[in-house]
Amino acid sequence: MTTAAEDDLYDVIVVGAGIAGATVAKVIAGAGNRRILMLEAGRATGMSADKYQSHVEAFQATLVKVPNAPYPNNPNAPQADVLSLRQLVAQPTPHQPPGSMIGTEGALVQTGPLPFASDYVRALGGTTLHWLGTSLRMLPNDFKLQTLYGQGVDWPFGYDALKPYYERAEYEIIGVAGNVADQYYPGIDDSYFGDYEYPMERIPPSYLDQVLSQKLDGQRITVQDHEYTLKLSNTPAGRNSRPRPGYQVVGAVGNPLQGQRCEGNTNCIPICPVQAKYNALKTLYELMMLHPADGEPTPSRSSVRIVTQAVASQLTLDEHGRISGVTYKLYDDENSPAYETRTARAKVYVLAAHAIENAKLLLASGVANSSGMVGRNLMDHPLILTWGLMPEKVWGFRGPLSTSGIEPFRDGAFRDRHCAFRIEVGNEGWSFAAGAPYSTVAGMVYGKEKLFGRRLRAKVGEVIPRQFRLALEMEQIPQPSNYVTIDPSYRDALGNFRPVIRYDLPDYVRAGMAAAREASDRMFALLGVPKLSPDQDPDTFPFPGEYTAYHPTDVGYLTYGGHGYTFFGAGHVAGTHVMGSSPATSVVDPRQRSWDHDNLYMVGCGNLPTVGTSNPTLTMTALAIWAGENVLEDLRGRS
Amino acid sequence: MADITIPSSAPRVALAAAGSDLSDSIETFLRLSELLTGFDRVELLRTGMVEPYYDEVIRVIGARDVGALLAVVDGLDAESGSETELETRLRTTILDDERYGPVARNIIAMWYLGSWAQLPREWRERNGAMSADFDRVVSAKAYREGLVWAAAGTHPMGAKQPGYASWAAPPTGERA
Repeated sequence: MTTAAEDDLYDVIVVGAGIAGATVAKVIAGAGNRRILMLEAGRATGMSADKYQSHVEAFQATLVKVPNAPYPNNPNAPQADVLSLRQLVAQPTPHQPPGSMIGTEGALVQTGPLPFASDYVRALGGTTLHWLGTSLRMLPNDFKLQTLYGQGVDWPFGYDALKPYYERAEYEIIGVAGNVADQYYPGIDDSYFGDYEYPMERIPPSYLDQVLSQKLDGQRITVQDHEYTLKLSNTPAGRNSRPRPGYQVVGAVGNPLQGQRCEGNTNCIPICPVQAKYNALKTLYELMMLHPADGEPTPSRSSVRIVTQAVASQLTLDEHGRISGVTYKLYDDENSPAYETRTARAKVYVLAAHAIENAKLLLASGVANSSGMVGRNLMDHPLILTWGLMPEKVWGFRGPLSTSGIEPFRDGAFRDRHCAFRIEVGNEGWSFAAGAPYSTVAGMVYGKEKLFGRRLRAKVGEVIPRQFRLALEMEQIPQPSNYVTIDPSYRDALGNFRPVIRYDLPDYVRAGMAAAREASDRMFALLGVPKLSPDQDPDTFPFPGEYTAYHPTDVGYLTYGGHGYTFFGAGHVAGTHVMGSSPATSVVDPRQRSWDHDNLYMVGCGNLPTVGTSNPTLTMTALAIWAGENVLEDLRGRS
Repeated sequence: MADITIPSSAPRVALAAAGSDLSDSIETFLRLSELLTGFDRVELLRTGMVEPYYDEVIRVIGARDVGALLAVVDGLDAESGSETELETRLRTTILDDERYGPVARNIIAMWYLGSWAQLPREWRERNGAMSADFDRVVSAKAYREGLVWAAAGTHPMGAKQPGYASWAAPPTGERA
C-alpha cells in the first residue's frame, strides 16, 4: 500500500456517480470554467452499446433475476442485495444478547427487529441502472405533514419552491413522459402543474390499465370510514415516448438511435435493454462529451474527471472546521483487497454516494454530525403486494413494468391515523408477487397436475394472461430510531465500514398496510376477483380468484391488528442526512449544505425530511439541481 | 370457471416422407420434445435450441441414460393411435416412470424456462448425479427462447421487445 498525494485542486469534488452526483456535476459544469472530480466506488459501467449489452446478457443468464442480477457484486464496494436478506431472529439466543447483531449476510449488517429490505447498485450510473422510472412529484401536503396531520416533520419549504426544479429535472435530466391531463391526485389544484406539459407524451397505458379503468373508474369505495373515488392515473415515467415540440429525445449512451422509444421490454427493473429508460450513464456521457476531463476549462466549458474504483473512505478537516480533503482507496482488482490511498482537494465537496453510503462516510469521518442525526431517520417505501387471476385475460408481461397507479390514498384527513399509500399497477403478472412465470410453470409441471404437452401449453395460455398484481406502497415517516451506523467490527474487503442497520415500522405505517389491504379487497371485488373458496385448490390455478398469501416464514413478515403482512423494500432509501430548518435536528440546511461545514454539500434521497408517496428519484433530482446552483453561488462568492 | 380448450395439433407427417437432416437421436429427442411441450416441430426448431438441449441432457444424465430414454420414445412412436392415446402412453411409460419421469419434467421446464433444475434426491440416489446437475440458466439464449413466453402470448422479459405502444392492445389474434 502506497500513499500518494494529489496536488490538483478542484473546484468541486463529487463523491458518487449516480443520478444525484451527475445532476450536481451537470449544473456546475454547465456554468463553465470549473474543474470537477467525480469519485465512483464501483466499476465503469460500459458507455457503449455493446458493453451495456453485456449486462443485458448477464441478466438473461442469471437464475434469480433480482434487481442487482445484471450488476455483479464487488467485494471492494459491496452493494446491498435482496438475495442476502434473511428473516431476522426475534428471540435472542444465548450467544446473541439483546441488541447484538443478528443478520450479517450480505453488505448490510442487520440488527432488526425488521430487515431493511432494499438494495442499491454501486457502479457508474448507480441505482438508476435498475430503477423503475416512475417520476411522480410529491404532493403539496406532503411538505406539511406535521402541521396538517401531526406526523413526521414539515419541510423547510413548500411544493411551490420546488416546482421549478421539478420541471427542470423532468426536462434537463431525466426526460419524463406523461400527460398532465392524465394525473389524478388528491389535494392538488390547477396550480400544481400550472401551464405545463411534460417533455414527452404519456407512455401508452397497458391493456391491463384499460381493463382496470373500465371496471374501477368512478367507483366509490369506503376504507376505514373514509370514502374514496377510484380513478386510474397514467404514471409519469423516465421512459422515452413521443417528444413534445422542442424536446430532443435522449437515446442509449454511445448509440443515440437506440432507445428513442420505450419498446415494452417489461424489464425496467433490472435492466432496460434499449436504454429507452433514463439512467445516469446518459447524464455522465453528456458530461464526458461536453466537458472533457483533459480539456482546459473555458467560459463555456468545464472539465469533469470521473475516476472509478475509487472508494471515498474519509473526509478530513482543516483547523477552521472546513473540509480539507477526501481520502479515497483506489483499487485495480475487484477481488483483491490491494489498494492505493489518495487524497483529493477541492473548494467544495458534494456527497452523492447514496443515502446509506453518505451516512457511512460522514460517520467514518466524524463530521457534519453536531445534530446527532447522521444516519438516522432511515426511510423507505415499505410495500405489500396483492395478486390474483382476473376473470378475463389482461395480457400481463407486456409493456413497461408499470404504466399506472391508483392515487386517491396519497393524501387525505386519514393521515392523522395511518400513513398515506399509493397503489402501483404492475404489468408483469405475478413476477414480483410470486416469481412468475417460473413458479407458475413449475407448479404446473412438478405440482399436483404434472401437466405436459398440449394441455400444459393451453393452461399456461389461460393462467398467465390472467395474472395481475397491485403494489401498495406505504409512506414511512422519519424516526431517529431507524438508523444506519458503523461499527469497527464490521468492515468490507478494503477495510471500509459496512453499514449497520436498525429498522422497524411503527403502528402508523402498519395501520396503513391494513387500510391498503382493505382498499385492495374492495377493488378486487369490483374487478370480479373473489377470495378463493376452501374447495378451490390454488395449486391448480382456478380463476378468477385472489391468491394473495403472507406466510410467517416470509423475510418481511410482520403483524398488525391480528393480521399478517409481508412487506418488501422499494429501494427508496432516504432520510439519513435530513434537511431541515434547525441545526439541532437536521444535517443539512435548506440549501442542502452541511450546517457544520460551509464547504460540504449532501445530495440524494438522504436529504428528504419525509418521503410522501412518490418514488423519490424525481424529487431527489430536483433538489440536486437546486444544490448545484447553491454550490455555484458559493463558488462565485468565494472567487 | 372457464374450461381449458385443448387445440388439436398439426397433422404429423411421416419423417421418411418429409426427409430429415437431423441425426436419428436428435430426431427422436425432437419428437419427445414435441410431445412434452405441446409445441410442434417447426416451433421448436425455430428456437435453435433442439441440439443445445439434447447436448444439455447428455451433460446432466449421461449418454447411456439418454439412449435408454430415446429408445422408449422410439417405441412409443412406432405404435399407432390418436394423439391422446399417445399422450397416455407417454404418461405411463415416461412421465410416471421413476427413472424417466423426473428427467422428462426437467426437459419440459428447460424448454419452457430455459433453465435446468437439479434432479430430486431420490433420483440422484438411484442413478447418480453428474457435475452439471445443478440449478442454472442454460444460457442467455435459452432464456430468450423459453416457450413459456409464447404460450402466454408475450415476449421474454428483457428480450424480443414487442415495440412501442404494442402493449395497449391484446396480442395479435387474441381477444379479451
